[in-house]
Amino acid sequence: MAVFISNGLLGGGLQKEPVAEPPTSTMLPAFVPTSLLNPSEEDTSTPARHVQPLDANQILPEPQASLLDTGTTTESRTFVSNGLLSGAHPGDATQGPIPETFTLNTEITPASRSFVSNGLLSSAATIEAAQDESPKTSTTNVETTLPSRSFVANGLLSGTTPRTLPFPMDRAPQASSSTLRFNVQARTFSGKSVYIRKKSKLLTNQPTNQLSGQKIGKLLDVPIHRLMDELSAATAARLATLPSRETKDNAPEDTLLVDRYRPRRYVELIGSERVARDTMTWVKMWDWCVFGRKKGKKRAREGDEELYDDDEYHRPRDKLLLLSGPPGLGKTTLAHVVARQAGYEVMEINASDARSGQVVDDRIKPTLEAGATIGSKKPVLLIIDEIDGATGAGDSSATFIHKLVQLTQQKSKKKRNGQKNGPEVKKPILRPIICICNDHNAASLAKLRPYAYQIRMSRPADIHTVKRLRTICDAEGLKAETRALGTLVGIARGDLRSCLNTLQFIKSRSDEVTEAMIRRATAGTREADNTISSVLNSLFSPMTRKRVKELGLTEDQEGRYISRLSQEIDAVGKESSIATGCFSHYANLRQLDANFSRYEKANEWLGVYDYMTSAMYSEGEFALSQYIPYLLIPFHPLFQERGSARVERSQADWEHSQTRRTNEEIYKSLAGCIRIASGKLGGSYRQFMSSPVLETEFAPYLNRIISPPLRPVNSQIVRPEERTLLTRLVSIMASLELRFMQERAEDGQLTYRLDPPIDVFVNYDGKRAIDIAVTRYAVRHLVAGEVETKLTGQRVDIIEKSKPSFRGFFGSSDKSNVPSRTRLGDDADAPPSKRIKVDLADKPPTDFFGRPIDLTKITIANQAHQKKHATKCFKISYRFAEGNSAAVRRPVKLDSFL
Amino acid sequence: MSLWVDQYRPRSLDDLHYHQGLSARLRSLAASGDFPHMLFYGPSGAGKKTRIACTLKELFGPGVEKIKIDQRIFLTPSKRKLEVNLVQSNFHIEITPSETGNYDRIVIQELLKEIAQTQQVDLNAKQRFKVVIINEADSLSRDAQAALRRTMEKYMSNMRIILCANSTSRLIAPIRSRCLLMRVAAPDSDAMSTVLDYVARRVGFDLPPDVADQIVEDAAGNMRKALLVLEALKMQSPDLSGNLSIAKPDWETYCHKVADLIVQEQTPARVMEVRAKFYELLSHCIPPTVILKTVAERVVERVDEALKADIMHWAAFYEVRMRVGSKKIFHLEAWVVKVMSLYKQFFYGMDLTGFD
Repeated sequence: MAVFISNGLLGGGLQKEPVAEPPTSTMLPAFVPTSLLNPSEEDTSTPARHVQPLDANQILPEPQASLLDTGTTTESRTFVSNGLLSGAHPGDATQGPIPETFTLNTEITPASRSFVSNGLLSSAATIEAAQDESPKTSTTNVETTLPSRSFVANGLLSGTTPRTLPFPMDRAPQASSSTLRFNVQARTFSGKSVYIRKKSKLLTNQPTNQLSGQKIGKLLDVPIHRLMDELSAATAARLATLPSRETKDNAPEDTLLVDRYRPRRYVELIGSERVARDTMTWVKMWDWCVFGRKKGKKRAREGDEELYDDDEYHRPRDKLLLLSGPPGLGKTTLAHVVARQAGYEVMEINASDARSGQVVDDRIKPTLEAGATIGSKKPVLLIIDEIDGATGAGDSSATFIHKLVQLTQQKSKKKRNGQKNGPEVKKPILRPIICICNDHNAASLAKLRPYAYQIRMSRPADIHTVKRLRTICDAEGLKAETRALGTLVGIARGDLRSCLNTLQFIKSRSDEVTEAMIRRATAGTREADNTISSVLNSLFSPMTRKRVKELGLTEDQEGRYISRLSQEIDAVGKESSIATGCFSHYANLRQLDANFSRYEKANEWLGVYDYMTSAMYSEGEFALSQYIPYLLIPFHPLFQERGSARVERSQADWEHSQTRRTNEEIYKSLAGCIRIASGKLGGSYRQFMSSPVLETEFAPYLNRIISPPLRPVNSQIVRPEERTLLTRLVSIMASLELRFMQERAEDGQLTYRLDPPIDVFVNYDGKRAIDIAVTRYAVRHLVAGEVETKLTGQRVDIIEKSKPSFRGFFGSSDKSNVPSRTRLGDDADAPPSKRIKVDLADKPPTDFFGRPIDLTKITIANQAHQKKHATKCFKISYRFAEGNSAAVRRPVKLDSFL
Repeated sequence: MSLWVDQYRPRSLDDLHYHQGLSARLRSLAASGDFPHMLFYGPSGAGKKTRIACTLKELFGPGVEKIKIDQRIFLTPSKRKLEVNLVQSNFHIEITPSETGNYDRIVIQELLKEIAQTQQVDLNAKQRFKVVIINEADSLSRDAQAALRRTMEKYMSNMRIILCANSTSRLIAPIRSRCLLMRVAAPDSDAMSTVLDYVARRVGFDLPPDVADQIVEDAAGNMRKALLVLEALKMQSPDLSGNLSIAKPDWETYCHKVADLIVQEQTPARVMEVRAKFYELLSHCIPPTVILKTVAERVVERVDEALKADIMHWAAFYEVRMRVGSKKIFHLEAWVVKVMSLYKQFFYGMDLTGFD
């Protein structure tokens, strides 16, 4: 460690006192030249560097002495490789030999406080430097310090690049502070003991100590929140009295804070590191395709190959990235930063551009196919911002989303087709596309989602946001208390952009940022994200204490809910869903309601709501719509409950409407059957079609009529009474065109299903009515066959009937035909397998060896057989162009028609 | 071959089994040559449509039985297409305008004008006018009824209108005053037994009198229902002997279950349970007013005398709301909560309001 320090210090110190250098350890010469001889090589863009010589000069004498003492380079090296870069440690290491050389750093700024508690040298450097230097330095410092940390270890061990060393070094002595307590003893390889001090805690709240010192007498009298308020006031006052260290404060402000402090490099991003890394990984996956290089060897994990999915261009499987999250978290910034960092030129399409399907053809496709924008060598990466606003909800193929998906997906297929055609091979898309949206559930994105790799951004922990805000405040010369910034972040719900805008607003008026100012500045801000479920939650539960505190409401204000809730409901704009949500939730609450008085009230309000909305829609009185939200608010006083379970939106209502729709369709098809029947038979069946009769009388009784207790026996040995029953059933079913359709269930069993499935109307709660026996497979099979025969017969009948004159001649034979046909059907409908299988009739028939018999074949064969017979049974007459005088009448043999 | 209820439907006024006075009157009206507009009303299953069909036959002869069914498409002002099923013969046309919901006015206006403006071309026809039968006239919207009223007077020479409704209460007074009102009352039990016997004889079996009585009692004046029940019964137990139970429609059984649930227990959990059942019923397309009525009647059967009036009052109250509103389930549940509250108050013998 000593080497490390000396090196750093010497880097600056040598410029003045090169003589002092030689006595250090043997390793030193290896370092010194690099730092000394190549001063031009140093990154002069970091202003922090300019601080360094000065600081180093200040403290140069002492460390030099220490350096001379410690001649053990091996020891110091191990120390560094431990990675303990805490600001205090270097000092400690040197303090071992010469403790008295160090002065206490008594001046404690808030920044240094946080620095100590962090124990990270680098961050301390950042903040200190930021305070000392112009605003510009803060951001750049972050960049340089992060690498520099790793550099330190490397540089010491390998002895090659001490370039960045001076930077952390000049901080080290300053930061080292106060008490000299040796808490932890450690031993080096050489056996020498080293003492490592525990992190000091004493630097924390000096002001608090003072304050509590004053107030200690009546500590219990004053509530903690009042103490906190006083504290923040005191801090603000102290901050105000502090002389401003700003030098070039009043730089002209031509940019927004948001733009000025927009992260420009990957390391500057805040928020979930995982999100950033995922995004980067996805973009990097394109490297193989875009830059043609394979991925780094170190990442050769198994399963990686699957991601590429046998794509001949080595594109990742998900060709789109969908980045979603609430506004202001830096999605767009992330995409831009990652794209630039990965070596792409960004092409952005956002809501300001037209986003119809045509854009895909006109702008996106040419650019992506070309692979780069004009005048740029870098490959292009497409960012589609605010994609949830693009067209895409409909089924039309001309929407933006549809075209986009087509563009990415169907290329390879088209290409394959194209290969046959030769020259006009379409170029596939070989560039990554990042889509950004707020709501990943937006209807328009439904088609996109399956093809996209989805990353969701969520609100980062407030502490990070506050830290970043603080950095910016310091850089901008705003005096901000941490508490105020915390409040700001709380009100904005983590929306960094709105925080910065508020800060800028405040900055335009004063240099201080206090909680009160923030409250004033954000007064009237609308809640950012209102969804149906969030509204339901605020209806059914009071505001959380945290939120009340964030908004700084008094008890009285908290009690006033009407305007707050009506605004929320109005913002969502889906009153009907909210009403349904209220309806489905209110009875779930656990509150005691002995005589249902609250329930009654709630239902009263719902009734009024329904009354108003239906009046609004049916009469077109849309002026009523502004009153609608107020009809739902009463749920709040009636049912609010602290700590109740979150409101889950119940699907019951939706499911109900779905089933209802299916059932309506079935009724419609049944009505269609009735219409056909009444057309065919000339009866007054149509009178069943009217609405309540069909559902309440016809459907249930028809179900009973068509399920007689038939035994599953061979139709040849059936008893006469059952035979009449069967005939009757078949004729009814045939006249209504009800059929049994054969189907294979999921388990492979053959079943017969009624078509149209009117048997759903006797199924309630999934159970069948008790008095209706479930017809067995064999019975249904029997009936199905008969009905088919009957229907085929009817078709022939109709042909016959349409020729009245013919009927006159053959009327008698027609009548005699009916029974004969039935008999014929019976005979035919006795497949040999059935004879064996009479008893086990529930199961689909199997043959003697238990192998399933394909009944359809047999049935078809039977039917074909029957049809042949049927045609034979009937006399056929043809009329050729009857009544047309132009027809030539000549004798024709029947054979020429058949 | 079709269902008995259709197969043995009386085809002429002479075949009708009951309300002979009414039949005689209709016959003389048809013969007089001065046939008015008519409004047939009465409970469901009393035989209104049968009677209308018989009257038509009396008016025009057997030609009216030759019908064809087709669909006509009407275009609303907003270019929406409406499909309407028309049943027509050479002498009459039958429509159900309520199929089109809110747009029934357009159907009435266009169709009636079209019919009214063409004269009967068949010179052999018995009457110079055509008849338009409007089914479910009580669900016509006010607009449609208003559209009807002038047409009825203006085109009297070419057209007669027969309205068919369950009750006259929802027809506007001008319409009622333009029609000859014909009330078709539900048949009494003797008449129903006669019809059942007649059908049984025609089919060719003997109907035991006790079975007939059971059916008649169950059907409660609804002839169509009685015949359907008879056929279902005959199908399910062909010999009509032993312990017969008259099958109730499933939705009715289910409604009764709901009513029992309400009476048994009055808790929030039960409210949810009842709600699920209501959803099930509604999804089977049972009209919500029918549900409310059936459940209310059953609840009334099972509670104390003192509560009955109140429960029915609230059922009526919420039925009105239901007809006006659009979310039926809200009003059904509101009624349930009301009933539960009433029941509890009664049970504890005091008014609990103000105890929360």
